[in-house]
Amino acid sequence: MTWTCEQTETRLSDYLDRVLGGAELEAFNAHVPGCARCAPLVASVSDLVTGLQSIEQIEAPPRLLYAILDKTLGPRESVTGWRALLGRLRGIASVRFAYGAVSVAATFIVLVTASGFNWKHPKLADLHPVKIYRTADRQVHFVYAKSSKFVNDLRVVNEIQSRLRQDSEIPSNPESTAPQSSPQKPGSTDRSKPATPRQQNRANDLARHVEVLAESLPACSARLSVLMISRRTL
Amino acid sequence: MVAHVTVPGFEADDTLEQDAQLVQQCLQGDGSAWEELVRRHTRRIFNICYRFTGNGTEAEDLSQDVFLRVYRTLASYRSAHGGFATWVTSVTRNLLIDHYRRTKRDRITDSLDDAMPVVENKASSARRPDELALLGELSHQVQAALTKLSPELREAVILRDLQQLEYVEIQQVLSVPEGTVKSRINRGRIELARVLQQMGVRPA
Repeated sequence: MTWTCEQTETRLSDYLDRVLGGAELEAFNAHVPGCARCAPLVASVSDLVTGLQSIEQIEAPPRLLYAILDKTLGPRESVTGWRALLGRLRGIASVRFAYGAVSVAATFIVLVTASGFNWKHPKLADLHPVKIYRTADRQVHFVYAKSSKFVNDLRVVNEIQSRLRQDSEIPSNPESTAPQSSPQKPGSTDRSKPATPRQQNRANDLARHVEVLAESLPACSARLSVLMISRRTL
Repeated sequence: MVAHVTVPGFEADDTLEQDAQLVQQCLQGDGSAWEELVRRHTRRIFNICYRFTGNGTEAEDLSQDVFLRVYRTLASYRSAHGGFATWVTSVTRNLLIDHYRRTKRDRITDSLDDAMPVVENKASSARRPDELALLGELSHQVQAALTKLSPELREAVILRDLQQLEYVEIQQVLSVPEGTVKSRINRGRIELARVLQQMGVRPA
């Protein structure tokens, strides 16, 4: 059985949809390859069907959905007044937003306080940029001075402690063991008192150092006084 | 070279059940069920309208008209006569044909204006096929070629090859015998291939 061009064209979609079978498929295949009219037609329609099915669907405009709903269900109610405000607040009522708000408020308070604003007696003039700048400049210098003083104090205290540590290590020195090895006199209660003049001189030097440091460091005078007293009792 | 194509329809069992349930909820006055139905089918209906008219604004207007008519006549829908998607597609097809008839006079004037670009496209047949087969460009060229088909052939090709409906579903949508559906699809494909060839386009 052989088909004509008209028959082949009529059954082309059946062939593409795999509906043809048996004798019909044989007749189709017998005709098409040798036909100058049908071979390019079958090829082009086959490519077209493949191409059409590869075309993706277009996205509908978002407004279309709302237009349809408005036309069918009626226009949506617009919320106004307090209900609208509450609706917006409900949208931002989250833990993350609360943390952010608190940290922003805390930063603002710190900055305003640092700029010299008096919260008990607030004045609008305190918020003038020139005044804020001057106050901030003074505060920066003040903080710098206090910081440097604190560092110096720490340095002095550290020096004193290191010297005291050195002094406490003296007993382990061979020359300091000599008095301990000597027999104790009966009735002697001051066992830690230096037995040799060299040790006495060292203690006096240390006491003198502490006195000088105490004069130059009033902040640590109380602690130094205690140290001096303790050294004098040695 | 030859593409043997088997395409799925849009009426999967779970889709049918969900649509039927949503329709029942709509009939009981549930607005959110209607909104869900519209969401599920808007894109498909818009695509059919756009492919048929070739105009985005007209497609939007027609899509709105489709859902308005569906909403008003929802009580007349019977699931025993086919799925909701088939019914909505049938309503769409009827509105598109009405629209085609209403605007026939305007199109006759437009077709005279379109004569020149077709001649120009014939001259551009020297273009490389791989350039023309780009997906986006093919979509536009197919759109231009579809508008040159008769409405009967155009709707048959759109439903079968762009919307990938089964023959039975197309038969229900168009309310014509199976033989007529097959004949229209076949003639539509051949005609579209010829128009694209005239435009210098080879789809694959």
